Amino acid sequence: MKPRKALMAILAGFLLAGLLAACGSGANNGGSGSVSAGGPSADAGGAQTGGQEENRSGGQQGEPVVNIYSARHYEVDDVLFQQFTDATGIKVNVVKGEAEELIERLKREGASTEADLFFTVDGGVLAYAKESGVLEPVTSPVIEENVPARYRDKDNHWIGVSTRARVIVYSKDRVDPSQLSAYEDLADPKWKGKVLARSSSSLYNVSLLASFIALKGEEASEEWAKGVVANFARDPQGGDRDQAKAIVAGIGDVAIMNTYYIGLLAHSKDPEEVKVAERVGIIFPNQETDGTHINISGIGFVKHGKHKDNAVKLIEFLTGKEAQETLTNSNFEFPVNPAAERAEYIRAWGEFKEQELDFDLLHVHNAKAIEIFNKAGWK
Amino acid sequence: MAFARFVRLMRRELDGWRLAGLGWAAVLLLPFLFIFSAWFAEPNEQWLQIRAYLLRDYVAGTVRLTVLTGLLTVLLGVPLAWLVAAHDFPLRRFFRWALLLPLAIPPYIAAYTYSNMLSYTGVVQKTLRGLGVEVPQKWLAFGSVRGALFSFVLFLYPYVYLIARSFMERQCASWVENARLLGARPLTVFFRVALPMARPAVAGGVALVVYEVLGDYGVTSYFGVRTLTTGIFQTWFGMYDVESAMRLASWLMAAVVGLFFLERWLRRGRLYHVSGRPRPMASVRLRGPAAALAFAFCFLVFALGFLIPVLQLIAWASLAFGDVWKPQFWRWTLNTVAIAAVAAFAVTAISLVVANVCRRKTALNQLLARWVTAGYAMPGAVIAIGILAVFIELDRLLAPFYAAAGWGGRPLLLSTSVAMLVFGYVIRFTATGYNAVEAGYESIGSRFTESARLLGHGRTRTSFRVEMPLLRGSIAVGFLLTFVEICKELPLALLLRPFNFETLATQTYRYAKDEQIIQAALPSLLVIAVSLLSVAILHMAERRMQR
Repeated sequence: MKPRKALMAILAGFLLAGLLAACGSGANNGGSGSVSAGGPSADAGGAQTGGQEENRSGGQQGEPVVNIYSARHYEVDDVLFQQFTDATGIKVNVVKGEAEELIERLKREGASTEADLFFTVDGGVLAYAKESGVLEPVTSPVIEENVPARYRDKDNHWIGVSTRARVIVYSKDRVDPSQLSAYEDLADPKWKGKVLARSSSSLYNVSLLASFIALKGEEASEEWAKGVVANFARDPQGGDRDQAKAIVAGIGDVAIMNTYYIGLLAHSKDPEEVKVAERVGIIFPNQETDGTHINISGIGFVKHGKHKDNAVKLIEFLTGKEAQETLTNSNFEFPVNPAAERAEYIRAWGEFKEQELDFDLLHVHNAKAIEIFNKAGWK
Repeated sequence: MAFARFVRLMRRELDGWRLAGLGWAAVLLLPFLFIFSAWFAEPNEQWLQIRAYLLRDYVAGTVRLTVLTGLLTVLLGVPLAWLVAAHDFPLRRFFRWALLLPLAIPPYIAAYTYSNMLSYTGVVQKTLRGLGVEVPQKWLAFGSVRGALFSFVLFLYPYVYLIARSFMERQCASWVENARLLGARPLTVFFRVALPMARPAVAGGVALVVYEVLGDYGVTSYFGVRTLTTGIFQTWFGMYDVESAMRLASWLMAAVVGLFFLERWLRRGRLYHVSGRPRPMASVRLRGPAAALAFAFCFLVFALGFLIPVLQLIAWASLAFGDVWKPQFWRWTLNTVAIAAVAAFAVTAISLVVANVCRRKTALNQLLARWVTAGYAMPGAVIAIGILAVFIELDRLLAPFYAAAGWGGRPLLLSTSVAMLVFGYVIRFTATGYNAVEAGYESIGSRFTESARLLGHGRTRTSFRVEMPLLRGSIAVGFLLTFVEICKELPLALLLRPFNFETLATQTYRYAKDEQIIQAALPSLLVIAVSLLSVAILHMAERRMQR
């Protein structure tokens, strides 16, 4: 074969493969989206029945769907969506992305959007979505029965699905847990060179500080941030799990972490990670005062959604006892439905007092929190 | 007859190629203008705060990181290219392509992998503990700027290596051999002949590295390094201030264009072209310690940049295989390959057109070239927002047409199709294709083209019959780089994909985001495997062509 021909053949091969697959995924999309209104759009999907397992029934007329923009990437979500489809015959289509980007997408799509639900982690983000005007109230007695009012938006623009607590983790070898009981202790000079935290670019930290601003005011919060920075064992780096590992490695003695990461470490495939989880203890801080900071995963009801009934059914399903227990058992988050039992592993931590804050406030104080982190030099 | 002169001028200057180039630039105008529109808005309070407290930090961090990364990739990539191109030592033929492989590993995966390997639960500490040795974790700390530099340099140097090597192999032969015959010592040949000649190629490679670093978010945010890009995300995701984020992004883009003109200005007035028939260089056989040293150097880079992380990923993937593996992985792999191939093909075609148009270095042409490639230095998410805005508007405009064509009640057609994602890839990754093709054009010079045109071929015919055969190496390199780049790409895929569209990169991300590095290993490995396969195809194609 002549050289140019060889190259051309390869390029052509790539292109052909690409086009074929692009058509395939185009059909997938046509199928999933076109079913929306039922009526006139169905021919677009029906014309190109994409033979794909993800889209099992192709674009059959009237196939019921619900479309979600999700910023949660947990495996268990897919499992739950599949269970929902099996139970109701409603197909769940998902775009997964970053929360803030998805909100931007919703805003720009406006009335044309194909999304019915917006699923994300963090009360601040949910409040921001509400403020952006892309959500509207959902009304369902089932949901109100499933989810206590404090885990819902006050206008029901979004409904909580699960919570996690941001706690203090300590070295069982070197720290006597009676020495610290509050977030405030982390700013005490006696922990100089012992405190570990991840970067302030993590939303988990931003919301934590935002909750302090709401409870104690800006000045006290800034002092706290400065105190913690002065106590850092090292520059903030890594994720939540890395903080626990750093404790066991002896870099520092106490760290700020989310509860479910401890659960995930303890159930890791890597035996070394399991050992790490065994060698650290958890303190639920501020039990005597404002309670431990919790954050929430929630699902917002998109204003311009086209499949409202299906969307309500999915929220009802996700907040139901069964789905809630699946959630906690695989992810070690706390269920919001009081009827659901917590995963056995986290039941051992016992009950604790939670911060009772309107989640909207996390968004209100968000920018201030970042400003304080920047001023305090919390990288 | 001013009008007649104008028409004549237009007919001379505005042929199909130029029109196509300008047309594409005009298409790019839309999303870019969207980003630059931030300049015209009134600065808000947050922007003033950013400017007062943070901008200097961001800029300083960015400059430090890019300068150091650029320097180190040259120090690593160019000597490797020279070793492989002009010398013979054990396993040279293997290293020739094996040294490209680090490119298949996304730097952020590498960052995760090495941090975990060196962490307390990682394989290094575990082994040491097993041997009864307690090494303080601080000695193995792999953080901040050092970690970021390591991840960038070791996994991006192949850009420099690849472009410099293919240039040296094809274009330097007679000069290098003459210098050797005239008795120049090896180091002199390198510093006085090969390096100056390869400068455009090296600059092209370094430009890609610098762009990549400028647009990176994964590595820098993982290591807590402050750059303009992390600033953009903090502003957007942290303060929900899209406008200030766009403002920062437009500064970043302006800086990139400025950087390019600086580089051009530094080598102003020099013309690079090589006469005579490009041919392979006779290589010098290294012996004894020199051969051992060359081998050791190449092996060390290969081991750190590919072997070690891949072995670790394989170990992790086998731990979690049962949990993570699903039959859908076939589908996701096909999605990845398909979309990367289509977009890379489009990028290659556009690069050929624009590079051809831009061979005469007028100011306008230079601007066109930079405009077309500027997307590479932008954080993907910022471009993504620009594209999203444009496509949704487009859908609004076309809505009556959709209705007339009987496509039903879906108001959003383009922006819920995979076309939007392909378009995004092309905007973002034109630089990888373009820089390779441009370096190719620079190295063949203008004499073949001039001869062909004098002998009566038109521009198109000249291009297909004369230039493309000469450029085929560069074209293949450009295509491949773009392909691999797209396989690894994440932020565009996240925001611009249609419902249920998954690629290997998005699958990697879903686990990595939640710090499930063990589960993330399998999709990461598949990304690497796809990239590897394309490197192998390129290698085979090259061998065929040489025969």
